[in-house]
Amino acid sequence: MKKLLLGAVALAAFASTAHAEKVVLQLKWVTQAQFAGYYVAQEKGYYKAAGLDVEIKPGGPDIAPEQVIAGGGADVIVDWLPAALASREKGNMLVNIAQPFKHSGLMLTCRKDTGIKTPADLKGKTLGVWFYGNEYPFLSWMSKLGLKTDSDIKVLKQGFNVDPLLQKQADCISTMSYNEYNQVLEAGVKADDLVVFKYEDQGVATLEDGLYVEQDRLKDPAFVATMAKFVKASMKGWNDMAIDPKGAVADVLKNDATGQQTEAHQASMVAELNKLIDGSDGTLDVAAADRTVATLLSGGSDPVITKKPEGAWTDVVTKAAAALK
Amino acid sequence: MKRAVVTLLVSLGLSILVAVSFSRTNPPTGRDWSLSLAFVICSWVAAWSASWVADLVLPKAQTRWIVPTIFGLGIIAAWEAYVRASAIPVVLLPSPSEIAAKFVAALPILKADFVQTILRAVIPGWLMGSGAGFLAALVCDRNDFLRRGLLPLGNLVAALPIVGVAPILVMWFGFDWPSKAAMVVVMTFFPMLINTLAGLNASGQMERDLMRGYGADWFTTLIKLRLPAAMPFIFNALKINSTLAMIGAIVAEFFGTPIVGMGFRMSTEVGRQNLDMVWAEIAVAAISGSFFYGCLSLAERKVTFWHPSYRR
Repeated sequence: MKKLLLGAVALAAFASTAHAEKVVLQLKWVTQAQFAGYYVAQEKGYYKAAGLDVEIKPGGPDIAPEQVIAGGGADVIVDWLPAALASREKGNMLVNIAQPFKHSGLMLTCRKDTGIKTPADLKGKTLGVWFYGNEYPFLSWMSKLGLKTDSDIKVLKQGFNVDPLLQKQADCISTMSYNEYNQVLEAGVKADDLVVFKYEDQGVATLEDGLYVEQDRLKDPAFVATMAKFVKASMKGWNDMAIDPKGAVADVLKNDATGQQTEAHQASMVAELNKLIDGSDGTLDVAAADRTVATLLSGGSDPVITKKPEGAWTDVVTKAAAALK
Repeated sequence: MKRAVVTLLVSLGLSILVAVSFSRTNPPTGRDWSLSLAFVICSWVAAWSASWVADLVLPKAQTRWIVPTIFGLGIIAAWEAYVRASAIPVVLLPSPSEIAAKFVAALPILKADFVQTILRAVIPGWLMGSGAGFLAALVCDRNDFLRRGLLPLGNLVAALPIVGVAPILVMWFGFDWPSKAAMVVVMTFFPMLINTLAGLNASGQMERDLMRGYGADWFTTLIKLRLPAAMPFIFNALKINSTLAMIGAIVAEFFGTPIVGMGFRMSTEVGRQNLDMVWAEIAVAAISGSFFYGCLSLAERKVTFWHPSYRR
């Protein structure tokens, strides 16, 4: 009897693992609340219930998700639209299949004592800019303001910390509203001592965290179905983060292999992110995507992309996800 | 001769066979990676046997130059053939022709990066680091007490990881070239110290006794006997330091820099998937590094002409 039971359990386990489809997700940055939706979905078992075995690979400095997927190291990546479009133009045919983040959280944070009050005051100042795909919105903005990056302003390649602002090596630095801005405040700088320019307010915001896959793989209906299940489960995870922020923070911290993240920082991150996601169901807002393309094309002498992209996003996956129970 | 030609023809044939078997899908399949390994081995053997055949065919005087050139050109041809045959995405590996085209097109940028990294960080840092190491060695030689104290400290400095020290130096010395030069100083100090100390002890006991017999003081002995005898060691250190200086300056630039410089260009162009630009920068680094090393070897030849290693 015991042997029969054991055999049945083993068979059931084998059967379930045999049916689970493997999906590898490459994140854009290290494990943090920015990707809570995926961690919540994994911890709460939404992926397993959909028959998916999802491996979440954290990113980090010097990891370009576009390169990882081009080399076959991931099935789907989290990336920003400008970087994905630039990659697509170079022949790495990435396609947006879902857009959880409706709004942009990118900001330029300046010290008030530098005398900067409006974007025009940025002329002649030292600005910290991230690279690795995060410089495109900044370059578009500078082009719109008519400031040349090699003469009108001094640009520093900012590392992924806020030290240049704290050490007064830069007058302004790039920050995400949900991460580095809070790091500045946590370092003891008062919000009153800072002047903040949100890219959304300046009209140069671009679409940020979205899910991207290689175009060729979408030709396979089985892959589209797998991605639909993945997107549906992920959006459920993002939804749960809006309803239960504390649970989301706990799920993220559980998966943080580095032990670097603190609960307080992740909690403030979740609060900001819920504003950016704004109840999205993962469907890409084509008007917002077109606005991003227009911003990138208007780069003047140094545009981020040179021609309007064709087929850079698709709704087959989000439509299939909506059709799922 | 027959063996060389047969090896050449067989390896060429195998390379071509492998080349037409690539699946050319995006992303590459697992089978493609195994085929790539096979192609690398076959084409390497082909290039090597081509230079073998050339060595057998050409007169002795010319083989010194032509055989290595043939091997090098063979490797580059194999690289080009691989990229075209496997249709590997440019974001993973560009072809030599694409790199050369980018090199020519981006010459002003490459020149600006060269000036920022090599002329402003590598050379001054190398001079300061090697100079400091040399002076520290002289001090250690003069004073045994200081030697026992400074050597372990030098050891410690040498063990510090670049990627740990670089951000600290950027915070201390700012984003521009001074922090990169400081990184180079940290990296080149210890090899120079150790090698100079070893060199100062290389002069023979008989010769030192002779100088003592002439009533020479420490300084005269140093200038007339011990430093010339130490030259092979010092040049050894200078050559090692030239490589370390390039590595140090380029890696330090990953951690904060104004938007010019070879390390900056390499890391940001990887982020933008402009791999052909990255390789063009690598080519500049390789050429500059080789030239630097070559100049030092030439100087070494002139100064240490007496050394047995130069006898034919």
